[in-house]
Amino acid sequence: MGIISPVGCGIRDTIKAIRNATPGIKPLRLFPTAHTAPLPVGEISSLSCIEDVPRTHTLARIAAEEAMKDARNAPDAVVIGVTTGGMPVTEELLKNGILDPEKYKYHSTGSVAAYVARFVGCKGPVLTVSTACSSGAVALKIAMEMLRSGKAKQVMAGGVDALCRLTYYGFHALQLVDETGAHPFDRKRRGMSVGEGAAMLLLTVAESPPDNALAELLGAGLSCDAYHPAAPHPMGEGALRAMKEALFDARISPADIDYIHLHGTGTIDNDLAEARAIHTLFRDRPIPPLSSQKGAIGHSLAAAGAVGAVVSAISITNGIIPANTGFHEPDPLLHLLPPVEPLQAKINAVLANSFGFGGNNAVLVLGHPHRRKRSPTSIRPVRPLPLAVLGSACFTGAGNAKRTMERLGQGEGARGIVPSLEILKPLSEKYVRRLKRLCRMVLSLAVSACEDNEKTDPPSAVYFGTGWGGMSETYDFLSKLYASDEQFTSPTDFIGSVHNAAAGHVAIRFQSTGPNVTTTGDDCSFEQALYSASLLSHDRNAPLLVIGADEHHDTLSHLFDASVAQGEFPADGGGALYLRPATSESPLQICPSFIAYSGENGNTISELINTLGGAKRINDQFGAILAGIPAAQREKGEAQLNSFLSMTGYPHPIIDYRQFVGEFASASAVAAVLAVSFAHAGEIPAHICFPRAAPLRGRGILVLGFGSHITAVEIMP
Amino acid sequence: MNELINELKVKIIETLNLIDVVPENIDENAQLIGGDLGLDSIDVLELVMMLEKDYGVKIDSRELGVKIFASVAALADYLHHYQSGKSN
Repeated sequence: MGIISPVGCGIRDTIKAIRNATPGIKPLRLFPTAHTAPLPVGEISSLSCIEDVPRTHTLARIAAEEAMKDARNAPDAVVIGVTTGGMPVTEELLKNGILDPEKYKYHSTGSVAAYVARFVGCKGPVLTVSTACSSGAVALKIAMEMLRSGKAKQVMAGGVDALCRLTYYGFHALQLVDETGAHPFDRKRRGMSVGEGAAMLLLTVAESPPDNALAELLGAGLSCDAYHPAAPHPMGEGALRAMKEALFDARISPADIDYIHLHGTGTIDNDLAEARAIHTLFRDRPIPPLSSQKGAIGHSLAAAGAVGAVVSAISITNGIIPANTGFHEPDPLLHLLPPVEPLQAKINAVLANSFGFGGNNAVLVLGHPHRRKRSPTSIRPVRPLPLAVLGSACFTGAGNAKRTMERLGQGEGARGIVPSLEILKPLSEKYVRRLKRLCRMVLSLAVSACEDNEKTDPPSAVYFGTGWGGMSETYDFLSKLYASDEQFTSPTDFIGSVHNAAAGHVAIRFQSTGPNVTTTGDDCSFEQALYSASLLSHDRNAPLLVIGADEHHDTLSHLFDASVAQGEFPADGGGALYLRPATSESPLQICPSFIAYSGENGNTISELINTLGGAKRINDQFGAILAGIPAAQREKGEAQLNSFLSMTGYPHPIIDYRQFVGEFASASAVAAVLAVSFAHAGEIPAHICFPRAAPLRGRGILVLGFGSHITAVEIMP
Repeated sequence: MNELINELKVKIIETLNLIDVVPENIDENAQLIGGDLGLDSIDVLELVMMLEKDYGVKIDSRELGVKIFASVAALADYLHHYQSGKSN
């Protein structure tokens, strides 16, 4: 494990800080505030940035370095929860009017995970989760499922976020900041303290925990409130579902829990909802000791779930319950009494809560590695499992899926900006008045993908991949902030700027109360969403949505996305698939078979071919390949494709789809939807497949992604 | 006072991007939040920001917010008193 927070760098310092209940909240010093006294924050002082990377990347690396200290091998996968990415640098550049794309190369949240992957030498799946304040815990859940599925033997997972103006002013605009510092669960609490930090855990799977194991991650539960974009369900219903799910997943009961590590942000609504959920969970049973650490270290947002996991592990190994710093006066409405001083106790199992915007809930259960009555936890069959396609929809510059197919059939490309009116068609403008381009596009795609399936249940889970999230909201938020000399900004834009905002709106629309996962892994964000969906979907009767979308933004797109900067035409769009876990009878199936960070690794292509079942299976089963090569990675991507072709001797058509749909991070979502349409039609239309249409003859289609991540998605009729 | 009420209606429509709503549609005595306009707590925060920016009024407690945003008339009344209190 590795950790850095306002009260210490490293596990040793963190244990000391917990023992002494060291307070870590002080007035902001990191950047000047123009008109108001600096608010109290959880800031890590004396942090010197490594190389030329943003603060977020530096924090992630410090925690990863510590977690890898005794590791012999590189992890097979990296899963990182992060929301701020390169924002600390980006907002400074925008403030100063610096518009050189080169300077924004670390903007993406995906670049944090890639940076950690390079540092630890990982050449497998490298995933980025961005579900606001639950990100770190969601990342741990995905990592755990990768281990359980046998897809990886060792995974580095955690969360990180750095202080920046976006979060500092954003939470303040929402009136969620306590100007006297956070007092979680106190009667007079007025809000949170925005913080920063990083925590990484090196997870491994074994029949019995290795001798040097610090804790065992027993289970995790995800849920979505499907209630409000920024406020929790008042009765804590979503939180309760996630806690129950986590306990079920861990195969233990509430009575086995010795300590609850609270989310406890200190906001009026969070603490009330969380308290209500806990009372409902325990009913008449005694509630174990519980505490929130956010009065001591602030709310480190995407890091919080992973910080909670590390602190829970420390609680278990050291027999200590952290103090609930800032708690003075009990709140009769909450009816809970967290300790004001650290307590000594024998702790075998901890329940650790994380909740975020979009009603996104993730709860972890950690246990003592050697003290638990072991129940057999079998490793399930190797996943990812295929998903059956129930419906689909896409947007391109041509419009919806039908218009896109028509345009492609006429030999014209479909790349361009999706017409705004086309996006609005299935939506009520009144309903989406507060939503900007990306949220509208995603909601519209979701509605269209599900519309022919009125007899099927609505989607219970939502998986969304986006390279860049709501750029309109991010830009508008910062523009208003800077235009008013950092006095005013829009709370609505802050809520919309979180990457998972769109997925939260989809959940509210369909009342999807299951997992709600947003992945932000650059050009393979959609594939990461599909991969996560396949790992987390177990219930055959529970349909789900997998969506990928990105908006074009006149100022930000070419600054952030090097492929957009190189493309001739601005383009955006996305695709949505309405799915359910497949049975052998499912007529059309989609399966995310392969995902790996290529880095400088030359062997990834042969691993790809092996995973797909070898050259013979590839040539026999797939009648066409849709290949995605981002413009900025042309040379590298083409070399990878050529190497794939020469190693397989692939005889069927290969379609370079970005030429038709344009350059945007989630272009692969459109490719997947087009592949579904082609598979339905039984042929690849002429013009796409020069010079004449290519019949598939019952074969499937392979959607491949090349560049810094190599991906394969199988679409089988 | 009527002038202020109308001015506020226009600002509310603009700030909250209320589609198909004109000032005449807003009854200044009707419940503003949770009423027919479909406004909620996020809209309140957006209005708080607008009031601070355009009228120099700071509203930073829920209790105060509930009182002020009861209706457009209540809001106008509060602003009127705030402004005359400042000029005295």
